[in-house]
Amino acid sequence: MSRCEDGKNEKRENQVSVWICEATEKQQRRRDGLALPKVQCPNHPDAILVEDYRAGDMICPCCGLVVGDRVIDVGSEWRTFSNEKALKDPSRVGDAQNPLLNGGDLTTMISKGTGAASFDEFGNSKYQNRRTMSSSDRAMLNAFKEISTMADRINLPRNIVDRTNNLFKQVYEQKSLKGRANDAIASACLYIACRQEGVPRTFKEICAVSRISKKEIGRCFKLILKALETSVDLITTGDFMSRFCSNLGLPKQVQMAATFIARKAVELDLVPGRSPISVAAAAIYMASQASAEKKTQKEIGDIAGVADVTIRQSYRLIYPRAAELFPPDFKFDTPVDKLPQL
Amino acid sequence: SESRAEPETGASNIVSTVNLGCPLDLKFIALQARNAEYNPKVGVYVHKIREPRTTALIFSSGKMVCTGAKSEEQSRLAARKYARVVQKLGFPARFLDFKIQNMVASCDVCFPIRLEGLVLTHQQFSSYEPELFPGLIYRMVKPRIVLLIFVSGKVVLTGNQVQHTHTHAQ
Repeated sequence: MSRCEDGKNEKRENQVSVWICEATEKQQRRRDGLALPKVQCPNHPDAILVEDYRAGDMICPCCGLVVGDRVIDVGSEWRTFSNEKALKDPSRVGDAQNPLLNGGDLTTMISKGTGAASFDEFGNSKYQNRRTMSSSDRAMLNAFKEISTMADRINLPRNIVDRTNNLFKQVYEQKSLKGRANDAIASACLYIACRQEGVPRTFKEICAVSRISKKEIGRCFKLILKALETSVDLITTGDFMSRFCSNLGLPKQVQMAATFIARKAVELDLVPGRSPISVAAAAIYMASQASAEKKTQKEIGDIAGVADVTIRQSYRLIYPRAAELFPPDFKFDTPVDKLPQL
Repeated sequence: SESRAEPETGASNIVSTVNLGCPLDLKFIALQARNAEYNPKVGVYVHKIREPRTTALIFSSGKMVCTGAKSEEQSRLAARKYARVVQKLGFPARFLDFKIQNMVASCDVCFPIRLEGLVLTHQQFSSYEPELFPGLIYRMVKPRIVLLIFVSGKVVLTGNQVQHTHTHAQ
C-alpha cells in the first residue's frame, strides 16, 4: 500500500486521489488489526453477509441490501467430466491446497514439452527437471502417503487419518525424533490417533499393516508421548469387543455377553496383570462356548493376535466364577457346568 | 489399599566405573589373569571374580566398569581387587574417580497393586502399557529414579546413584 504525499489537499483535480489515499490508509490501519478489509451492511454492522456467487454479490440477510458487488467468483472455471479426452485438463488452478499440513505449496513445475524442439538427440526431453516440487516437505508427503495406505488396509475413517497426519506434522516439526525411521513414527502416530479417537487398535494390528516391528512402534510411541507431552487413556476390554466379535461372525447376544463377562472379570480382579486383550479373548471364548456359535481358541487367537495358550491361561482364571460372570438375561445353549475346562 | 506388612528392600545390583589411570595391554592380562576372557570384537576384556561375586569390563585405555556387587562397599572393594590384579601383572594401576553409576534395588510391598488406579492419579509420571510390558513404569522426579511396579506388589527401583530406601504409598 503506497502512501500518497501531503500537500495535495488543496487542489481540486487531486481530490479523488486524496479520497483514494484516505481509503487505502483506512484499509491499511484496519489491515494492521484485521486480516481482511471488512465490508458490512451500514444498517446492520453485525449481520453476517450472505454471498450470492451467481451474481457476485454480498447481501445483508436482514434488510436485503446489496453491500458488495462484482465479487470475484471462486468457483471452478471449467466443468471437468470423466471422459476419454482427459489429456487436456483446462483447469488452471490444479489440486486443492492442503494448507493445514503443508508449508503452502506454491511452486511452479515445468511440464513435458511438446513439439520437436524440446527433445535432444537421443530422444530424451531436454528439460527434465520437474521433480523438485517441495523438497522441504517431501519426507512429510511421503509419510502422509504411507499413513493413508496403512489406514486404508484396516479401513480407518478419514478423521483418524487426519488426526494421524496432524500428529505426524507436530512430531516432524519438533525434530526431537528426527533420527527414527519415518515409517515407525507414522505407525506410532496412527496408533495414538486410534487411541485418542476412542477406538484403539492393538499394536499387533498396526504391525500387520506396517513394516515396522512391534518393539520399534512401542518405542516410538513412548517417545512421541513424551515429545508432545500428551497422554492416552488406558485400554479397556470393551474397546475391542465389537471388532473381534464381528470378525468372528458372532451374533450381538454373544458380543454383549462377552463384554459383560470381561468387564465383570476385571471388576472382580480375577485376572490381575493380564493384558486386556487376553482377557477380552478369554471372555469371547467363554461366551461363544456357552452359546450356539462355538469358536475354537485358535480362531479367537488368530483374530485377536494372542496365542491360544494365553487364552487358555486367562480362561482358567475366569472359569471358577463363570456363573457370576454371565449377564442375567443370557440364553445358554450350553449350561455353565458343561463349559469346557482346560 | 493400605500397607499391612513391612516392605523388604534389598539392593540387587550396583554398577560403578573407575579409572585405573594407565593404558593396559588387554591380551597380556587376559592370558595371565585367572577367570578373564578377551573379546576383541568389542575391544574389552571381561574379568569375573568369585568373592564378592562381580564382573568387571576393562578397556585398553585403563577405564573399568564393575557390575554385580550387592552394596556400594562391596563394589568399591571389588574394584580395588581388580586394580590389584592388574597391578600385580606389572601395570602402574591407580584408583582414580571411583563413581557409582547405577543402583538397582527390588522390594516387595506385600499387597497387590491396582495399576490402573495409579496411572489415573499420577498420569504425568506413570506409563502403563499392558500390551508392551506388564509393569507400570513410574518416573519419580525428586530423587530421579525409575520404578517398575507390578501387580503382585513387587517393585524394582533403578537409576539412583545414592542409596535410597523408601516406602511407596498409594
